Amino acid sequence: MSLTITEARINGLLNTLVTAASGDYDVRVALEEHEDPLLDVELGINYLLDELIERRTQNEAQEEELLTRARQLARQQDELVQALSTPVIAVWPGVLALPLVGRIDDARAAVITATLLERIAAERASHVILDLTGVAAIADATMPALLRMIRAIGLLGARCLLTGIRAEVAPQIVALGGNDLHVRALARLSDALALVLADKGALDQPHR
Amino acid sequence: MPFVFAEATTPQGKPLLRIHVRDEVTITDAEALGARIEDDGPNHRWRILSVVEKGTEYSPAARRYFPNLQPKYGAIAVAVTSPIVRAAINMMMRLTGQAPNLRLFSSEAEALAWLDQLEI
Repeated sequence: MSLTITEARINGLLNTLVTAASGDYDVRVALEEHEDPLLDVELGINYLLDELIERRTQNEAQEEELLTRARQLARQQDELVQALSTPVIAVWPGVLALPLVGRIDDARAAVITATLLERIAAERASHVILDLTGVAAIADATMPALLRMIRAIGLLGARCLLTGIRAEVAPQIVALGGNDLHVRALARLSDALALVLADKGALDQPHR
Repeated sequence: MPFVFAEATTPQGKPLLRIHVRDEVTITDAEALGARIEDDGPNHRWRILSVVEKGTEYSPAARRYFPNLQPKYGAIAVAVTSPIVRAAINMMMRLTGQAPNLRLFSSEAEALAWLDQLEI
C-alpha cells in the first residue's frame, strides 16, 4: 500500500508530538476529512492525548488526596505526641503529677506549661509534682523553660515539687541556674506524694 | 441530544433500534443507550442502525464505556460518511478488541441489508 502524505500533515503530527512531549497535552492534531490510514493515526494521537489528560487529572486528584491524608496524619501525630508529652495525672484530689520525658525545648515547655496551668486551674490543684526521672540531661534551653513553668505554677497558688532528679542531672541544674528554683526536691515521686498527703493531713508526715 | 432513538423495523420486518447521532456524545448519552439494551431493557439484543453525522465526536468517558455494550446488542450497523467519524469509530473498535457484530457502512441501505441478513 502506498500513501501520499503532504508535508503539512507530517509537520502537524510532529508539532503535536513535540508540544505533547513538553507536557502540554491540550494540543491536538488538526483533523481533515482525508480518506487514508494516516487519519486513524492522527485521531489515535488525539485520543492518546485525551487519555493523558484524564490520567494526569486522576494523578493530581490522588496526589491531593494523599497530601490531605498526610496532613491529617501529621495533625493526629502532633496531637498524640502532645498528649503523650504532657501526661498530667491527678494522683489525689488537688494534687497533679507530671512525669517529664526527653528533651524539653522552649516550644514543648510552652505547650506543657499551658496544659499544666489549665489543669491546675480546672482542678484547683494545690500541689504539682514535676517528675524528672525520664530526663537524662538538661539542655541549655530546658532550665529557663522549667523555671518559667515553676514560676507560673506558683502564680496560680500551687506548690511545686521536683522528683526523680538524676545524679548526673543535678549538677547541670545547678550550673544552669537551678538554685533559683526554690522548690522542694525529693528522690521519688512516691516521696513527694507522701509529703503532699501529709501536708493535707491525709497521712502522717513521713519526713520533712 | 446527540442520540435520538427510534424503534423501527428492518425492510424484512425485524425489530430495529435506529439511532441518529450528532454533536458530542457524552457518557450520559452512552449510558442512555446502555439502559435500552441492558438485559431488562426494551431493546436488549436488538439490531441497531446507527446513523452518524459528520462532525460527531465521542468524549473519552463515552469511548471507554462503549466496549461494555458488546454482549448486549444483537448487531450494530453504523452508517457513516465522514472519514474522521469513521476513524473515530475504527479506533473505538480497536480499543474494544473484537466487535464481530459491528460493521461500518457508507450508506444506510447497505447497513440495513447487512442487518437483515444476520441471524441473531
